[in-house]
Amino acid sequence: MEGDLIQTLVSGLLIGFIYALIAVGLTMIFGVMDIVNFAHGEYLMIAMYFAYWFFILFALDPLQSLPVVTILLFGLGIITYYVFIKPIIRAPMLTQIFVTFGLLIFWRGVAQFLWTVDYRMIPQAILSGNINIFGVYVGVPQIVAAVGAILCNGLILWFLKGTRLGMALEAVAEDKEAARLMGINSDRMFALAWGIGIATVGIAGALLASFYYVFPEVGSNFCLTAFVVVALGGFGSVAGAFIAGIIVGIVEVLSGFLIAPSLKLLFVWSLYLAVVFVRPQGLMGRK
Amino acid sequence: MKKNIIFFLIFLGGLITFPFVFENPFPRHLVIMILLYATMGIGWNIIGGYTGQISFGNAAFFGVGAYTTAILLTNHGISPWLGMLAGCGFSIILAAVAGYPCFRLRGHYFTIATIAVGEIVGVAFMNWDYVGASVGIYLPLLDESLMNFEFHTTKLPYYYIILGMFLFALTVCYAVEKSRMGYYFRAIKDDPDAARSLGINVQRYKLYAFSISAVLTSICGTFYAQYVLYIHPSSTMDLMMSIHMCIIVLIGGLGQLFGPVVGAIVFVPLTELTRVYLGSAGQGIDLIIYSLLVILMAILRPQGIWGLFSRGSK
Amino acid sequence: MKKLFKVICVLALIFYFVPLSYGQDEIRIGVIFPLTGPAASTGQVLLEGVKLAADIVNTKNNLNMPLAKTAGLPNLKGAKIKIIPGDHQGKPEIGMAEAERLITQEKVVAMIGAYHSAVTATASQAAERYGIPFVNDSSTSPTLTERGFKWFFRTTPNDDILSENFFQFLNDLSKKKKIKVDSIALLSENTLFGTDSVKFQKKYAEKYGYNIVGTVLYPAKSTQLTSEVQKVKSYNPRIILQTSYIADAILSMKTYRELNFAPEAILANDAGFIDPEFVKALGKNADYIASREVWAKDLTLKKPMIKTVADMFEKRTGKKMDGSSARAFTATIVLADAINRAGSTEPVKIQKALLETDVKGEQLVMPWGGVKFDPKTHQNMLGKGIIVQIQNGEYYTVWPFDLATKEVVWPFPKWEKR
Repeated sequence: MEGDLIQTLVSGLLIGFIYALIAVGLTMIFGVMDIVNFAHGEYLMIAMYFAYWFFILFALDPLQSLPVVTILLFGLGIITYYVFIKPIIRAPMLTQIFVTFGLLIFWRGVAQFLWTVDYRMIPQAILSGNINIFGVYVGVPQIVAAVGAILCNGLILWFLKGTRLGMALEAVAEDKEAARLMGINSDRMFALAWGIGIATVGIAGALLASFYYVFPEVGSNFCLTAFVVVALGGFGSVAGAFIAGIIVGIVEVLSGFLIAPSLKLLFVWSLYLAVVFVRPQGLMGRK
Repeated sequence: MKKNIIFFLIFLGGLITFPFVFENPFPRHLVIMILLYATMGIGWNIIGGYTGQISFGNAAFFGVGAYTTAILLTNHGISPWLGMLAGCGFSIILAAVAGYPCFRLRGHYFTIATIAVGEIVGVAFMNWDYVGASVGIYLPLLDESLMNFEFHTTKLPYYYIILGMFLFALTVCYAVEKSRMGYYFRAIKDDPDAARSLGINVQRYKLYAFSISAVLTSICGTFYAQYVLYIHPSSTMDLMMSIHMCIIVLIGGLGQLFGPVVGAIVFVPLTELTRVYLGSAGQGIDLIIYSLLVILMAILRPQGIWGLFSRGSK
Repeated sequence: MKKLFKVICVLALIFYFVPLSYGQDEIRIGVIFPLTGPAASTGQVLLEGVKLAADIVNTKNNLNMPLAKTAGLPNLKGAKIKIIPGDHQGKPEIGMAEAERLITQEKVVAMIGAYHSAVTATASQAAERYGIPFVNDSSTSPTLTERGFKWFFRTTPNDDILSENFFQFLNDLSKKKKIKVDSIALLSENTLFGTDSVKFQKKYAEKYGYNIVGTVLYPAKSTQLTSEVQKVKSYNPRIILQTSYIADAILSMKTYRELNFAPEAILANDAGFIDPEFVKALGKNADYIASREVWAKDLTLKKPMIKTVADMFEKRTGKKMDGSSARAFTATIVLADAINRAGSTEPVKIQKALLETDVKGEQLVMPWGGVKFDPKTHQNMLGKGIIVQIQNGEYYTVWPFDLATKEVVWPFPKWEKR
């Protein structure tokens, strides 16, 4: 039984890193411009489809198409900003909610229209099988995805704290007016935030495509959990999202194993409610 | 004002005589669905449109209404009309229990919290054997009668029942709009802090709005259960259903009396007809169309399509 | 402006309801399957099975089955069958809506469907309300024939009989090979099909004296099954009895592999495991799964007609025939035969003819004794199941032992050894 518990914890950890990666983009966008991107999960779905089609059409394994998918999604993020988000930057929150939420439906509709609701899976990706670490079996795709997520999170943290561009982004998040007075073009920063935020989800999607089914609604499974992660970590905190992702991943898998797999999500959502009522700013948030 | 009344009477007349012009079940089904969604939309409009609290969890009320009726009928043989009242009761309780803590949150936090509550209720029902877990409940096929709220060979009685519910919802919304309570709702939407400083008990009025919304949504759930005679969590408590209620009002006109009506008239045929003609690929097209409508309306015209037609609205 | 808007709406509605015209001398049969969605691959082959049967009925073929040797239905002056498909995507409410549409708009005289037990339940409910015969080809949940419906008929044996088959197999195995399986874990999807299966598996386990050490149910559209598989693993069962549709069947196998979990055997309850997509997606990793089935190509050794039809199917579609398409095929033949005997397209007469159905075993492509419906429940009383095992990517009959063409490989070889 102990071996199983450790096995479960490891699985939770691995999926937690992926949740963290997805949540990082979400929390960054919120931190920089106070907008919750309800359509975040749909970009994940798009990335997964891209990875799938690269495989089918060009025989590129997701690991190989990852850079391309990331760049494509970076571009998509920037386009989304200029077309849909910029017009409503100063609009009331109601409007912002409706627009990102309209985007959610829009992308889902596009996916359904182009690629139907059939489930698709990449057959025999490079990453398959398992490896044995101290008696615990972990699937190869999961480990690679987790490692990828950690690297990515680390990169973003380094970018935000250690580079001038990143610090400019943080400055805009802290205080837009002051940043403007210092000559930082907030419009470009917003676009950058969207680009990076969606690109991270692109990486996550390419990694997930190795071992998940791809279908138009796959985004909501992950995205809903990402909201919990962002809330727990604190809206706007990248480091918080990372830690929270791990916590949520473990809570989900542990509650599934100890209590019942079909009740997993109940515990995840209850965690959200608990956090939001007890400590609204989450673990490391500032608002 | 007179013009409005005349238009409304023509509209009402059209609705009343519709089934006699179109006797085929499918057009009747279409209009029944339009009226059902319009009623749910009116329910959502009260909390979302008038009071400005964006809830993505209203499907829970629909589910409670549907399940209460279904269980009371299937397990205890109680008439669905009484079941409807019981469903309303439970929905109000749910609205109070969920609303009390959630309304302390603002903006995005609140909206996501409503998603959380909706999902928790959904997962709970999916694992609760008493209500059939994920298999759901098959309502017994009883003899056709008004008392049993079941009809098999014709949709006509269903049509008039939902028309009645729709008119009831419309009346309730109209009364709210013109009353002091409605004024408070709008004040809360515009500026909750100012409202509080004016002495309005913001928390209490949010709960009132939520309860009204819950009741209107719950009766729709009961109707659905008796119309389809099969319910399960995915068809009655799904997140997408909450989202549909919201979309209808966004497209048609937030905070407008007839907003949900127009929204439903656009939304329902689009969904049903694309499904019939284009299969599930078609379901993508209707999503694309109404999502673009939502985005356009949000950016350009928060008054929705209804707002485009009626002048002199906010 | 408002008025214009309303007028446009009304015009649009009128336009849509221009009555459809259709040929008088065709017999319209509505067919509902999951043509898109997670079980799309199964839905497509089911439809192909129906279409092949309709083809055989509508043309002259030299086969020993009803209506094959003539073109069209002789008692209706050679009228041909027209198949009108509907797609339910695996969702019960859509199944019901499609059934209603087929009945009221497309004016079908009878229906076949719907694979997913949960969808068959609602689609047949619609048929019952309108008084249209509904022939269920492939849904095995026993509840479906216990509703007292008068218009619902089922040709496939149900999970009551088929669950018992598992334990008869295990008993025979223990006698022959001295293998006594003392701990079984159940893993199943949680819609009507799965929950009913689990119910009967538990019933027969008790009756035959086998120990169920744990049961795990999961949502049919799960995107990952790690928690579920880990839970099953923690029960330490010798074998697993699994009930899954195609998407979760493939996912679970991958998860077993990733978690290095290889029980002594995995016994599957048909559905996803016999879909042609299963072997295609998993390749070598699909080998050694044993599944309850109702059909297998190697039965042709006893019944050559099966090979002829299976070859026709493969030639038309490029896919191998399986239990699902074979049952869809059979239901169509049975229904066409009934309509022919009724000599009319009136639903009441078709219903009566269905009750009188008596198709002999030799005339079927199934290993059944025939098709005869119980007068009360309308369940075919002459159906039975077999157990097949995948070896080298092909399905071979391994039980009953007198029908078996290969020996069952037991235990399941570990993953590393493949």
